[in-house]
Amino acid sequence: MEHQAAQTIARVDLNQWLERLMEGSEVIAPTAGPGGDEIFTTLSSPDQLLWDFENPLHPPKHFMLPQTERLVSIRHENGHHQVTPVPDVVPRILFNLRSCDVKGMNFLHKMHASDLPDSAYLRRADKTTLVSLACVTPCPLGFCICCDAGPFLREGFDLQLTDLGERMLVEVGSEKGQALIQIADPLFQPATKEEYRQRLGLEEEARLGFEKETCHFGSAMRRISTGRVADDLWEAMGDWCQECGGCNFICPTCYCFSIQDLPEDEGWTRCRIWDSCQYPAFTLEASGHNPRERKGQRIWRRFFHKVSAQYYQRDGDVGCVGCGRCIKVCMGTTDMPAVVAAIRKGEWHG
Amino acid sequence: MGDLFLPSVATILSQKEDTPDTRSYRLRFRDPDEHDAFSFRPGQFLELSVFGVGEAPFCLASSPTRKDAIEVTVKRTGKVTDALFALGPGDEVGLRGPCGNGFDVDAAAGSDLLFVAGGIGLPPLRGLIWNVLDERERFGDVTILYGARTPTDLVYKEELKQWEEEDGVTLHVTVDRAETGWSGNVGMVPTLFNLVELQSASTLAYVCGPPIMIKFVVQDLLMRGFAEERVISTLERMMQCGVGKCNHCSIGHLLVCRDGPVFNYRQIRGMVE
Repeated sequence: MEHQAAQTIARVDLNQWLERLMEGSEVIAPTAGPGGDEIFTTLSSPDQLLWDFENPLHPPKHFMLPQTERLVSIRHENGHHQVTPVPDVVPRILFNLRSCDVKGMNFLHKMHASDLPDSAYLRRADKTTLVSLACVTPCPLGFCICCDAGPFLREGFDLQLTDLGERMLVEVGSEKGQALIQIADPLFQPATKEEYRQRLGLEEEARLGFEKETCHFGSAMRRISTGRVADDLWEAMGDWCQECGGCNFICPTCYCFSIQDLPEDEGWTRCRIWDSCQYPAFTLEASGHNPRERKGQRIWRRFFHKVSAQYYQRDGDVGCVGCGRCIKVCMGTTDMPAVVAAIRKGEWHG
Repeated sequence: MGDLFLPSVATILSQKEDTPDTRSYRLRFRDPDEHDAFSFRPGQFLELSVFGVGEAPFCLASSPTRKDAIEVTVKRTGKVTDALFALGPGDEVGLRGPCGNGFDVDAAAGSDLLFVAGGIGLPPLRGLIWNVLDERERFGDVTILYGARTPTDLVYKEELKQWEEEDGVTLHVTVDRAETGWSGNVGMVPTLFNLVELQSASTLAYVCGPPIMIKFVVQDLLMRGFAEERVISTLERMMQCGVGKCNHCSIGHLLVCRDGPVFNYRQIRGMVE
């Protein structure tokens, strides 16, 4: 991004900008929830939006992939079934996403656009604008720097904001992003060279702020891709997994699901519902046969999908954005950095 | 571009009991234009739904050469099949598909063909068998080896007789355990290999059945000089979406619903899981 293309807006004008954005779209951003936890919610007032925050425990993926997504309405009338797609085209702006979450959204987009395009997902993505807030300090558990997912982004965002203090620098990543600036054009002015230099300095500082020991995907990838991880190691980690599915549900790149017909009004709705590869029934066949009966096999599955070269080659990225949420949520400590370290070292801490 | 998860409505034309727990259904899309436009390869599958109960994958058991009806053969095993068995002619179901890669029929032209099936493994091969018999001049000799646990468990009993009478078709049937009135072969499927002469270099082998049967049949074929690429099977996994998105049916980085369900033995041997 050239500095000429970047804009700035005064801090005092931000609420005015947000008000203009809220006129035409749902604006969703991190806010302080009822108990004080950071949480993504639809703003009813710009004052709710947090500028100083770490990152909500739940990533914003449920705005693209709701936990229960209504896909098809099924009605039974006069002896016949009528099936119709359920429309969902609310224009949305996801505001103040952290870099890792933007990268997560990019990953999900790629998964749903590739091979057979998932039009339900793509329609929603088309109406969604991603505004990120670059991270000027690494968050305590984050390791985005290992996955090319932060602290600042070069691409993937529609707008990227950098907090310069009195002013906010705004980089434009797409036409959708440009449109958000045009809505309140008079509030913006081109960034000066000095302001852009300040942004580069903040990025450098943030990059240097990560601790030395982070998450080394390279050697873990070599081992897992060539089957050089002992079965015993997977079993040892499996013993620690509580099969809660939490790692999947808070992961910005996890998207596995099941399809179910749920009763509704005079018929049913066919829904896409989050599922977890850590649940024993994920691969249970009607015959009773289960190819991944043991927890160790399911842990292998999760990390093979996220870290193997086979998937890296297909998807172009590791299935991790370094947000560190699995570290927070996993009761069994089988989180990404711990498992990657175990694969590298060939031993589990348990 | 249609919605990936939007089913079409189809009507059950008729049904036939194959065994006490297995039934074949003939289906037509409710929209005649959609029915006429529907094209598929043998070996592909459909996501069939009983509305309000759910969807499950079933192989297309009919041949693309016979367009009057789409056929599936269903073993009563779970929630969706229980509900399907409660339906009958005139009732409606949902269909999505065809899904998966299917058999490469054109690549098989000119070859001798060997079909080896066990139990409910015959339906995925049935569509290909009829396709071959309906275009008889394109293919060489056809050998069909089929086995089930008991004579009662044999599916398509009438069709087995029809196939046997076709020119250039050798058919042998066996059962693991005989019942009163059974005068045919008794023994596991691989015992039928002793009854036939196979030219491994010119023959493509299609194998479908329970995993243990596949294992022994493939061993036998490799011993008889079949190249791994000429041994073709269809794999089963728990499938949900059928369109490569939900990840239930993954084996390593492959998805049975998109990369398969048809794989040759060289591909299967290289699988990491």
